[in-house]
Amino acid sequence: MTAPPVGRISPRTGEDAAKRRRERWAIGIVAVLVAVLTFFEAHLAAVGGSVAFSSNIVIFALINLNVILVVLLIFLVTRNVFKILLDRRRNLLGAKLRSRLVLIFICFSLIPTVLLFIAATNITTTSIKSWIGGRVGQALTGAIEIAQERLEAQALALSPAAGRAAAGLANTVDPSSFPRVLESARSLAPAGTALLFFDNNAEVAKDGEVSPTVRAEVLKRVKAVKGDGDGKQTLIGDEFAAAWRRTPGGVIVVAVRPLPPPEAARIREIARAYDEYHQVRLLDDPIRASYIGILILITLLIVFAASWMGIYLARQITVPVQLLAEGTEEVARGNLDVSLDYRSSDEFGTLVASFNRMTADLKAMKGNLEETNASLTRTFDELRRRTQFIETILHSISTGVIVIDRHGRIAMINKVAERLLRITKEGAVGHLYREVLREEHYEAIRGLYREAGEAAGGQIERQVELVVGEKRIAFRVCLTALRDDAGEYMGLVAAFDDLSQAMRLQRVLAWREVARRIAHDIRNPLTPIQLSTERMQRKYAATHAEDPVFVECTQAILSGVHTLKGLVDEFMRFARMPVLRLEEGDLPGEIHAIVDTYRSSHPGIRWEFRQEGPPGVRFDPFQIRRAVTNLLDNAAAALGERGSVTVTCTHDEAAGKARIDVADDGPGIPPGDRDRLFEPYFSRREGGTGLGLAIVSAIASDHGGIVRMRDNTPRGAVFEMEFPSRLPANGSIGSGAPGIDDGRRGS
Amino acid sequence: MNAVRLLIAFLTLSLPALLPGSSLARPPAPVISEVSGTIRDGEARVRFTLRNAFTPEMVEALKSGIEITFKTTVKVERVHRNWFNRPMGQVEYTRSVRYDALSRVYRLHRDDGDELLPDVLAALDRMTRFEVVVPVTGDVAKGKPHWARVHARLDKVGLSEPLRSIFFFSSLWDVETDWARGDLQTP
Repeated sequence: MTAPPVGRISPRTGEDAAKRRRERWAIGIVAVLVAVLTFFEAHLAAVGGSVAFSSNIVIFALINLNVILVVLLIFLVTRNVFKILLDRRRNLLGAKLRSRLVLIFICFSLIPTVLLFIAATNITTTSIKSWIGGRVGQALTGAIEIAQERLEAQALALSPAAGRAAAGLANTVDPSSFPRVLESARSLAPAGTALLFFDNNAEVAKDGEVSPTVRAEVLKRVKAVKGDGDGKQTLIGDEFAAAWRRTPGGVIVVAVRPLPPPEAARIREIARAYDEYHQVRLLDDPIRASYIGILILITLLIVFAASWMGIYLARQITVPVQLLAEGTEEVARGNLDVSLDYRSSDEFGTLVASFNRMTADLKAMKGNLEETNASLTRTFDELRRRTQFIETILHSISTGVIVIDRHGRIAMINKVAERLLRITKEGAVGHLYREVLREEHYEAIRGLYREAGEAAGGQIERQVELVVGEKRIAFRVCLTALRDDAGEYMGLVAAFDDLSQAMRLQRVLAWREVARRIAHDIRNPLTPIQLSTERMQRKYAATHAEDPVFVECTQAILSGVHTLKGLVDEFMRFARMPVLRLEEGDLPGEIHAIVDTYRSSHPGIRWEFRQEGPPGVRFDPFQIRRAVTNLLDNAAAALGERGSVTVTCTHDEAAGKARIDVADDGPGIPPGDRDRLFEPYFSRREGGTGLGLAIVSAIASDHGGIVRMRDNTPRGAVFEMEFPSRLPANGSIGSGAPGIDDGRRGS
Repeated sequence: MNAVRLLIAFLTLSLPALLPGSSLARPPAPVISEVSGTIRDGEARVRFTLRNAFTPEMVEALKSGIEITFKTTVKVERVHRNWFNRPMGQVEYTRSVRYDALSRVYRLHRDDGDELLPDVLAALDRMTRFEVVVPVTGDVAKGKPHWARVHARLDKVGLSEPLRSIFFFSSLWDVETDWARGDLQTP
C-alpha cells in the first residue's frame, strides 16, 4: 500500500477504497442475483409444465440460494449501517451527516414500502377470501352440478336405446346378428350415439363411431360397475354421456354419445375450476402465507436496496463534506500544505477545487508573510541590537542622557540620568517629560531647549545647578535638538554631567598641593626652631632654671614645634599616600582585632563586630587598618562616653566586592556637612585635623572602591567603604582620586 | 393482526422449505405392516399394507381433487445368517389416486392398470393394500429363508396448475415409512 502524500487528504486509502469497491460490487451482484433468481423462480413453474417441482432439488437450491443472497444483502447493508453508527459514536467527521442522510433515505424507502406491503397483504388476503368465499364456491358447485345434470339428462336420453339393445341381444344367440340388433337399437338414440357390447370386460360388438379414449374410459367405467349399479345406469364424463343395461346373461350394453368438442372443453374448464377452487380453499392459509412471503421478500429487497442506495448517496455527499471538514481543520491547525484529493464534475468537485486553490493561495500568502516577518524580525533584531548597543553605551558612560521625542515624551533614559534626576526608567519612558521631571528640572531643560533652538546647530552646553534631593548639584548640561535630513524636529537629547565629583576632586588635589607646600614650608623652619630652643634650654638652663618665663616659653615653643611637626606629618601623609601593597589576607580578622582594641580603650561604648562571607580578600592591611581606625575614631568621637558601634565586614564573593560598614547611633551628620565630609581639613570636631575621612576616601580610592555615608536607623550614621575583593582584569587598581560616594551614587 | 398472523404462518411454513425433505405438517408415523408373500419360479409375490399413510388433511385434499401418489420400493433378498444377504430382485411401484368431481369417481392409477373407484374408502383401501410381483434372479433355495423389505413414501402431490406455481418449492406433506420386512415362503 502506498501512503498518500503528506498533506494530501484522500477520501480513503487505496486498500480501503478497494474494499469499498468490492463491497459495492458484492451488494450490486447480490441484488441483481436476488432479482434474477426471484424472477426465474417465479416463472419456472409456468415454463416447467408438469415438472414435479415439489421434488426438484434445483428449486430448493434456488430458493435456498435466494434466501442466502437476501441474508447476505441484509448483512452487508446492516454492516454498513452499524459502521455508520460506530463512526457517529466515535465522532468522526461527517458521520453525523451521513447517518442522518441514511436515516432519511431509509425512512423515505421504508415507510412507503411498509405501507405498500401492508396494503398488498390486505388486498391479497381480501382477494383470496373473496375468491374462496361462498359465492364463488356456490357458483362453481352450481356450474358443475348443472354440467352433471346436463350430462345425466343426455345419458338418460340414451337409456331407451341401451335398453332395447340389451333386450335384443338377450334374445339373440348368433353373434353375427349382434350388429343388426345394435343398429336397430341405435335408431332410437340421438344422432352420434354409439352402442357398445361388452362381455367379460371386453368389447364384443359395437355400432357407431366413438373415439378410442372415450371407448377406453367407458370400458373402465363398465368394469367398475358392480351389480346393477345401485339402480343408476348412466355414465357421464367430460367427453361423453352414456347409459348402460345389463342383459340377463350378464353382458353389458352401453349407449354412449361423445360430446361435441366445444361442450367437452367447457365442461372440463368447469371441472378444473371446481377442483382449483376446492384446492385453494383447502390451502387457503399456505397460499396467503406464500404470497405474503413473496411480498416480504420483495419488501426486504426494496428496503435494503434503498438503504444501500441511501448509504451510497450519503457517502457521495458526505465524503466531500468530510474531506472539506478535515481539510478545514488542518488549515485551522496551520497546515496549509493540505490538498483534497477529490475529483468530480458536480458542485462538490468545484467546491473542493476552490478549497484547494484557497489553501494554495493562503500558503503563498503565508510564505510571503513569513518572508516579510523574517525580514522584519531581522530588522527588528538589528534595531534591538543597535538599541541595546546604544543603551549599553549610554549605561556605561558616566554622563546622564535623556532622549525626548518630538511629542515631548521621554524615549530613552540611562541609569546615570535616572540616578541624577531621581526618576526611574519605568516611570519615565513613554511619558511626557514635563510630567516626569520636577518643575525646576523641567524649566531648566525647557530654557535650555529654547536656547538650543536659537543656537547654531541646535546645540547648547551650559553649567547649571539643580537641587537633587536635598543637595544642590552642579551639572554640565549639553542639550542637542535632533532634526532629520529634511530639518524636521525629531526631539532632543540632554546629557548631564555631575560636576560635583570633579569639583571635589579638584579641591582635594588642590588641598594636597597646599598641604605639600605648607608641610614643606613649615617643616623647614621647625627643625632650627626646635634645635635653637633646645640649645637655649641647655645653655641657659643653669641661669634661668628658676625663671619660669624662660622655662614655660621654651617648653611652649618645643610643644608647639612638636604639634606643628605632627601636623606636618599628617599633611605629608595626606599629600603623599604610601604606595598600595595588596595581598591576600583575612580582612575580617584584621578588622576584628582593631575593634577589640577599641573595645578595651572605650569601655563605655558597645562594640559589635559582624562578619558575612568568606574572609579571603586582597587588600593593603596597613592602609585598611588606617582607614578603619579613622572611621572608628570618628565613631567614638561622635558617641562620646556611651553608645554602640557595629562594624560589619561583608565579602560578596560572587560580586567580587568587600565592604566595611561602621554604624553608630550617635547624633549623625547634618545634611549641610555631608557635601564636604570627605574633603580635607573639614571637621566640626574640636582638635580634629579634618584629614581622617579624607584619608579614608583616599584609601578607598586606592583600593578601587568608594566610601559613602548614609543615615543610620533610627539614628546615627553609617560609613560604608566598598572595594573590589579581587584584582581587576587589567591588574591596576586605584585612580589616585578619592573614592567618595556622597549618597548620590547607586549602591 | 391478520397480516401478522399470516406472516407467522408464512414463516412457519417457509422454515421447513429450507430443510430438504421436510413437509408442511407432520402426520402420524406411517408404517408398512403384514409383509408376506411367496417366492418361486423367478418371481416373488409380496403383499403388504400401508398404514397411517393418509392423514385427515390428505383425505380432505384427495376429496378436493388433489392427486396423491405413493411410491413403494420392494426388495427381495436371500437371507444368510453369517454373511451379507444376497439381493435377488427389486421393484419400484407407483400408485396414485385422484378424485374426478365431474364423474364422481376416484381414479386409481397403478403401474399394472387403472381402476375407478366409487368412493373414498374404496380408494384408500386400494391405495394401502399392495400385492407386488418382483422378478428375482438366482435360484430359490428351498427351505432357506428369504425375505422382502418394503419401503413407501409419498411421491408427489398433484396440485392444479395455479397452485403449482405457488407451491412449486415444497411438498405439502411428508409421508415416508421405515423399511419393513417379511418372510417369503418358498415352495
